[in-house]
Amino acid sequence: MKRLIAGIAAIALVLTGCSSEDTPAESKAEPGKLRILAGSELADLKPILDQAAQATGVRVEFTFTGTLEGSETLASGKADGKYDAVWFSSNRYPQAIPDAARRLGNQVKIMNSPVVLGLAKSKAEALGWAGKPVTWSDIAKAAEAGKFSYGMTDPSASNSGFSALVGVASALAGTGSAISAAQVGAVTPELKKFFAAQAMSAGSSGWLSDAYQRRATGQDPGQKIDGLINYESVLLTLNASGSLPEPLSLIYPSDGVVTADYPLTLLTSASEAARNDHQKLTDYLRVPDVQRDIMSRTHRRPAIPNVGLTPEFGGQTLVELPFPATQDAFDALLSAYFDQIRRPSRTVYVVDTSGSMEGDRIDGLRSALSGLTGASNDLVGRFRRFHGREEVTFIPFNTTPSQPISFTIPQTGQQAELDRIKSTVESLSAGGGTAIYDSLNRAYDLLASEPDSGRFTSIVLMTDGENNNGTDLAGFQQALAGRSARLKGVPIFPILFGEGSQDEMNTLARVTGGKAFDARNSDLQHVFQEIRGYQ
Amino acid sequence: MKRRISIGLAVVLLAAVVVTIIIQSGGDDGPAQPQVATVHGVGGSEKAAFFADERVVRAFAGHGLKVEFDSAGSRQIATTVDLSRYDFAFPSSTPAAQKIQQDKKITTVYTPFFSPMAVATFAPIVDLLTAQGIVRNGPGNYQVLDIAKYLELTGKATRWDQLPNNTAYPARKNVLITTTDPRNSNSAAMYLSAASFVANGNNVVSTPEAEAKVLPEMTKLFLDQGYTQNSSEGPFEDYLAAGMGKSPLVMIYESQYVDREVRGDGSIQPTMRLLYPSPTVLSKHTLIPLKGAGDQVGRLLSTDPELVKLAAQFGFRTSDPKVFTQLVADHKLAVPTDLVDVVEPPSYETLERMLDAIGKQYR
Repeated sequence: MKRLIAGIAAIALVLTGCSSEDTPAESKAEPGKLRILAGSELADLKPILDQAAQATGVRVEFTFTGTLEGSETLASGKADGKYDAVWFSSNRYPQAIPDAARRLGNQVKIMNSPVVLGLAKSKAEALGWAGKPVTWSDIAKAAEAGKFSYGMTDPSASNSGFSALVGVASALAGTGSAISAAQVGAVTPELKKFFAAQAMSAGSSGWLSDAYQRRATGQDPGQKIDGLINYESVLLTLNASGSLPEPLSLIYPSDGVVTADYPLTLLTSASEAARNDHQKLTDYLRVPDVQRDIMSRTHRRPAIPNVGLTPEFGGQTLVELPFPATQDAFDALLSAYFDQIRRPSRTVYVVDTSGSMEGDRIDGLRSALSGLTGASNDLVGRFRRFHGREEVTFIPFNTTPSQPISFTIPQTGQQAELDRIKSTVESLSAGGGTAIYDSLNRAYDLLASEPDSGRFTSIVLMTDGENNNGTDLAGFQQALAGRSARLKGVPIFPILFGEGSQDEMNTLARVTGGKAFDARNSDLQHVFQEIRGYQ
Repeated sequence: MKRRISIGLAVVLLAAVVVTIIIQSGGDDGPAQPQVATVHGVGGSEKAAFFADERVVRAFAGHGLKVEFDSAGSRQIATTVDLSRYDFAFPSSTPAAQKIQQDKKITTVYTPFFSPMAVATFAPIVDLLTAQGIVRNGPGNYQVLDIAKYLELTGKATRWDQLPNNTAYPARKNVLITTTDPRNSNSAAMYLSAASFVANGNNVVSTPEAEAKVLPEMTKLFLDQGYTQNSSEGPFEDYLAAGMGKSPLVMIYESQYVDREVRGDGSIQPTMRLLYPSPTVLSKHTLIPLKGAGDQVGRLLSTDPELVKLAAQFGFRTSDPKVFTQLVADHKLAVPTDLVDVVEPPSYETLERMLDAIGKQYR
């Protein structure tokens, strides 16, 4: 089991590392092969799909993406002819976008997993929640009082976070019907309480549970957190791995959950051969024995009747919360989440402007950063820009770090400040040497000079070369060892670019509890957007 | 070929062809292969399993026919599907059939099967709603869900946990029947037909004034549910697999439930119950012969004893009531052989206008 988790984490890493937009070679349609655009958590189905390939002659070729990105790919028509099917944790989001919805063909549900709260057993007991009915309001009250902390994925990047946000909003609104855009304002104060306890964000479910485990065992310097909001399957998998100091108690809120139903969905553009392959594969995956196999390997619930649940799922009746059906409602919720509800971010960008950045590279950096000011206004870009209340600092560096330039985005009327950021990043120019570690130290010094604001604090490092000025990695690590616990918990998200040292970037990510991103073969803008999910 | 259809009606979104089920003729039954003519038809996905069944294939082959059946939603068949490719159309509702008849100027049609709309639920929910006067005994040995009383609850957006003495299902969500997406699924349109009849003072909606009067109330029935699935199989599967928590009340075709009972595969659990809305609407599967052997298919489905018997096995009621009665007796099914409280759906134009108006509210 432990190996399984490590495997998932590794796959997730590789996949997010080389960003999904750039599949190396265009895969051609052929009978016996289904090209599927899918949620990354489906990597754990590999053994099942290998057996399916043997039994049916239909092989699955996955390209992983997030729910919003995937919906955008569908809506733009870029999936037509490139993929035969999509397989997300649910079709609720693409179904709400007319241009994506009309591309969805025959959909066959394969398995289920509700999004629930997992809390370290002792914490659940201390809160008196073990074996008792608990509502989302109870949870929000305890969250507001600071009685526990949790991690959740970014709702614009990952379906588990998205489902949790929508579910919690519907439950706290208490209207009994699907939440509408107009009701979001009214429920925002309640949601703020709930999200006050969120101590960690992540762009993918896999990374989140991995980070939880690393923090719980002390492998990671970040603050320990008490629980996770995630798919039941992810939480059960963590428990089954035996790698946690204490197991998670699963809290199924009695007022309802949102359940992922994993419809394997043929695209309307798919060929006749793909249609047949889709039929063969879905028939196979819904055979009772295969459903049982899926249940025991992935801890997801069966989609068909007559396959009894194993005891790990508990016997509770799970009420399903109504889920909005309109893009307006989703947009209103996501905007409120980022600009008003969640704890704001404190982000420092340490960016290389050395001579080797001259030309395309500095151009790419400028446009990638200005994309985060709202210049990139597509489905994904809209929610990956700098958010209301966020504090952003840029430390451009070459032979030495430059003076930090800081901005605070107001909650409303953000445009003027965003424009200032835009003109600042667009004036970046290249020249001089590369002082990576002096510049990172400068970033930590800056953060050290500020009081603890309870923000999600992180550092993004973008460099295209080897360090050749000032202190080295060892010197940096030595300095880090002497810093406060709060600063040790600030993750660095290094971006591999140009001739940057892969080893050093990975080390930085590891020792700070961050994550390295690879922009060597993919679009820099996409990578910057992806990192937003972790901030 | 076993019954392996799980057609999602997303299919329905597709204007043109969706799933072609090529019916393989039953196999090697004899050296001298008789001359077999291929007939092309298009219709609702709930009939795809029937046409794909090997016993059905054999029965048609005995008459020298091989039927190739494509699935598409009734609304699509009446509007966007290119019917010139087909020998027959087989929509699931009278309004859609009337539209095709008008367009193609065809007078002879067949209505070999029909199914009343029904509500799949659970015993504790039945008890709860009985106490509220929403569920009561029907004229025969079956129970009905009183749409008028139900609309009183939905009009006030009553939540389950607001029902008095409700310990069985105290969910903090509205009492609402789960339906499919009204923008593309026939079963949602059938539900709208029955509910709008009641909302219109027990009259079929037939004037623009009546439409305007009932639309706000009807729109809520769908929009308050939020996300809905686009195939009638979707919510019924959730009902079977995920149970009461997810779907306490689901609008289905009676045939879906009966089909499962006849299969005897254990998917219908002891606590599951089938209610009939009062009034209900019949989904009349209407075959419109367009050309060639289409007419023969319609005739055979209506008159061939073997095909009629097989249709009943799939849960459809056929024009000869004795067949369904026999099925009910053979399998000891808890379904009425006669339904009294049945109303007609509105005309095609009225129904379309109402569905469009509701669809426009999904923004």
